[in-house]
Amino acid sequence: MAPYILRRLGQSLLTVFLTVSTVFVLVRLAPGDPAVAYAGPLATTEQLDTVRTQFGLDLPLWQQYAVFLRQLFQGDLGTSFSFQSPALQVVLERLPYTITLAVSAILLTTVVSVPLGVWMARRADTARELSANVVTIAGQSMPEFWTGTMLLTLFAVLVPILPASGFSTWGGLVLPTITIAIMQIALISRMVRREIVMNLQAPYLTVARSRGVKESGLTWRYAMGGASIPVLTALGTRFASMLNGVVVVEVVFAWPGVGSLVVRALETRDYPLIVATVLVTSVLSVLVQLLVDLCYPLLDPRVRLGKVATS
Amino acid sequence: MSVIDRPSAVTAQQLAAAGSTRRRRGSRLKIWIGAVCTLLVVLPILLANVLPLPAANSQDLSQRRLAPLTDGHLLGTDQLGRDLLSLILHGGQVSLLVGVLAVSVSGVIGIVLGSMAGFYGGKIDAFISRVLEAQLSLPLLMMLLLVVALFGPSLPVITFVIAIAQWPEVARLTRSLVLVEREKPYVSAARVLGLPRLQVLIRHVIPNIFKQASLVVLLLLAQAVLLESALSYLGAGPQRPFSTWGRIISDGQDYITTSWWLVTFPGLFIVILVVGVNLLGDGLRDRARRRKGAKS
Repeated sequence: MAPYILRRLGQSLLTVFLTVSTVFVLVRLAPGDPAVAYAGPLATTEQLDTVRTQFGLDLPLWQQYAVFLRQLFQGDLGTSFSFQSPALQVVLERLPYTITLAVSAILLTTVVSVPLGVWMARRADTARELSANVVTIAGQSMPEFWTGTMLLTLFAVLVPILPASGFSTWGGLVLPTITIAIMQIALISRMVRREIVMNLQAPYLTVARSRGVKESGLTWRYAMGGASIPVLTALGTRFASMLNGVVVVEVVFAWPGVGSLVVRALETRDYPLIVATVLVTSVLSVLVQLLVDLCYPLLDPRVRLGKVATS
Repeated sequence: MSVIDRPSAVTAQQLAAAGSTRRRRGSRLKIWIGAVCTLLVVLPILLANVLPLPAANSQDLSQRRLAPLTDGHLLGTDQLGRDLLSLILHGGQVSLLVGVLAVSVSGVIGIVLGSMAGFYGGKIDAFISRVLEAQLSLPLLMMLLLVVALFGPSLPVITFVIAIAQWPEVARLTRSLVLVEREKPYVSAARVLGLPRLQVLIRHVIPNIFKQASLVVLLLLAQAVLLESALSYLGAGPQRPFSTWGRIISDGQDYITTSWWLVTFPGLFIVILVVGVNLLGDGLRDRARRRKGAKS
């Protein structure tokens, strides 16, 4: 068990490091001089030189990278151009809103998609299941910004029962949550269906059935037991990617989270803020995935005994 | 509750046969609905330059936000007096082009890297698999937005970005297919004959898995169209020669209280196209899986 945890921890650190490096390389590769971006188009050559020395832009690339990493470890991600305050702090202030939205969306998704998937699996290949199947395909084919806008028009403009945007009351949480959940439910329920169908055909299920286990027990305890790891992984991955920004949905509903922040940062070319957002959210999502992976030993004894190399 | 609870005189074989008939019908239905939906959107888009439509970029401020079916504007006009249908169809050309190009690029990268990982194994496999995993755990949409913000929203950049987002899926599938294929006798036979490994991979293994691997292309195309529309909704989509669907929707959003058609119609085009392509892909995959199951 300990080697398993250590290896997962190492992988997570590696992923964070890769993300950080990718962001650094991308920002440096981009056309345009960051010194000009900072000092403005009217700056003189002397002023530009001062800016370059100030931010270490005159150093060789690898030294810049070292400086970048050192500041990172000290929690210093630079100052946001547009907010004029530490970028990390700006991001952390917005984070609770994104987490609230992601948690409520993943809860709704789980509550609906698992029973729906099981229902579809038990009626696999019937006419009713086929229509449910087509509906879920439709659900995963609707762009979230469109679903969101349509829901907004219906329930905030035509029949004004819910607030249109922002997070002034808890009611504001309803429409964004539903918007995200529609697509996630479609994806997850199809996956649950696939896993359950596969497990229902497995030999161990025939054995259980011949021992006289009830049909509901077969589905929920036996087949679900086998399906639990892939389903949990999928839910964890979806949750992690929501933390990475339910960017689109936040923009539609003017939700004050990280997603709408990053779009604004991109519009204003606020590089420190962009880097800080990408870093914070990727660390967070790597953490979530790590937590999910650490649940594996609880669900599957084979992992506990170190017999299965989880990939 | 279900059929299996009650003992019956139906044999397992009959049950299986009935199930496979139903499955066949189901996948045929999906393929048909999918093909119809796809053509419903793709045909007008391809014919956009031939159809008798008002020019897409001709603005007429006296004809702003006309309701659908007025003055020869089938779907109405937008906030600048442009014909909405024409705008949607021309924007659709750009979206489709981006989608098809992106899927081709990601398909090539994915098949090359995936088959190498599966065929050679060892260090090559370990390396490619690590990169794959790392990319799958990166914040995708944010990275894409970052790249587009840094390098500008031009067609090549957006195509490339979507391709990069999609190659892991192709690579993973190809790798697993090659892993199975590699153990087949004909591969050993070819090796015994003294053919170099690379030649065995390119001339013999890849052609055999190509059909199965290419089925995922339709599902990827659906994803690419969605991704492109999301990017352009956020203002990071292609802007020339025409704004694409996401952009039309985000522009129309400001008038949602009075002009419902500005958001509804472009969205419906996306939904019908993506539903169609997804259904088609799903149905074809079901069918391929069944045929394979029947053979073995």
